[in-house]
Amino acid sequence: MNDIEHLVEDLVRDAAPVKPAPHPFRLSLVWLACSAAYIVVSLAISGLRPDLMHKFHQFWFDAELAALLLIFVTTTLSAAALSFPDLHQMRRLALAPAIAFALFVVVIFLSWRANQPPPPLPVHSFECTISITLSSILPAVWTFYTMRRYASTHQRWAGMTALLSAFSVGALWLRLYELNDSIVHVIEWHYLPMLGIGLVGWWLGKALLKW
Amino acid sequence: MTEPTDNLEALMRQALAGDKRAYADLLRATSHFLRPYLAKRINSASEVDDLLQEILISIHKARHTYDGMRPYKPWAYAIAKFRLQDHLRSHYADHLQQAVELSEVEETLSEPVTESEISYESISGEIQKLPPKQAAILELMHREGYTAKEVAEKIGMKESAVKVAAHRAYKLLRKVLER
Repeated sequence: MNDIEHLVEDLVRDAAPVKPAPHPFRLSLVWLACSAAYIVVSLAISGLRPDLMHKFHQFWFDAELAALLLIFVTTTLSAAALSFPDLHQMRRLALAPAIAFALFVVVIFLSWRANQPPPPLPVHSFECTISITLSSILPAVWTFYTMRRYASTHQRWAGMTALLSAFSVGALWLRLYELNDSIVHVIEWHYLPMLGIGLVGWWLGKALLKW
Repeated sequence: MTEPTDNLEALMRQALAGDKRAYADLLRATSHFLRPYLAKRINSASEVDDLLQEILISIHKARHTYDGMRPYKPWAYAIAKFRLQDHLRSHYADHLQQAVELSEVEETLSEPVTESEISYESISGEIQKLPPKQAAILELMHREGYTAKEVAEKIGMKESAVKVAAHRAYKLLRKVLER
């Protein structure tokens, strides 16, 4: 008991006024705004796909983008909640990406069914995964850097959602830039690598979010 | 004045604003409600004390993640649970490592001891120099032929404690015999 009393005295001596961390909604809003700006700048540099206006009139393309956008928003919100020891007492918010991913899988499946007859596969393949990964590095670094200021007690989940959020930024950018109509290619080289990215995030979270 | 345990949220708000007295009250109240939580899950009182100190330090480090607007206890318990899991993970990892070492030692030592090269009798002099409890355990296991479980029942120890004591004895003996 004496040890505890000594420790309390030490901690109190060390305690200076502290500014509380922002609410997860505010934190994620900052992340979303910065990521949106990053996508706009990336598109300004790379250019938009020439048939984008035409594609916006295709229901399944819009649905796919909306589902991807939903993943981006929910993983960002979840990463923000997971940065707090108690998830800011918003457990459902932390679990929101699960619903978004389920919806995404349904949309992609229906989009694949509707993609008949299948358009020819583009000549490139893994280059898309590399492009998405490279374009995700900056948002990922920034998100992890910010998250390290807080105190996650779910480090693996936090790492996974943070990396998926960053990867969805890259995936959104590429979908708006790359001239490609093959949903098979998109599934294979844009979205399936998300599984691997999730695992990398799972590992990185444990390694980088220690406190 | 408000009782420390009455409004932990208000205490934390004051503490975040720099009120050291409120902070001290809050940390005392926190250790008060966390101690039984830890004691239920850990047998050793000294380990409970160590872990409680670690949790208080973590609460101190993470206090900026609490805004005073939501219930305090779930936040504190989340940190306590996180540190408890860490503690248990490392505790069991140590035990597992010891168990592996024990099996390795048993593999290397059991043959010579039970076969012709080294018998209990041939090293009984060295065994008697071991701490009394370790010597007694080896005597029961290797002269009388009891299993670790039977030895544990006979001398009123846990089976795992008997194995650990035997393991330490093997280590000491190995050092002596290798000289």
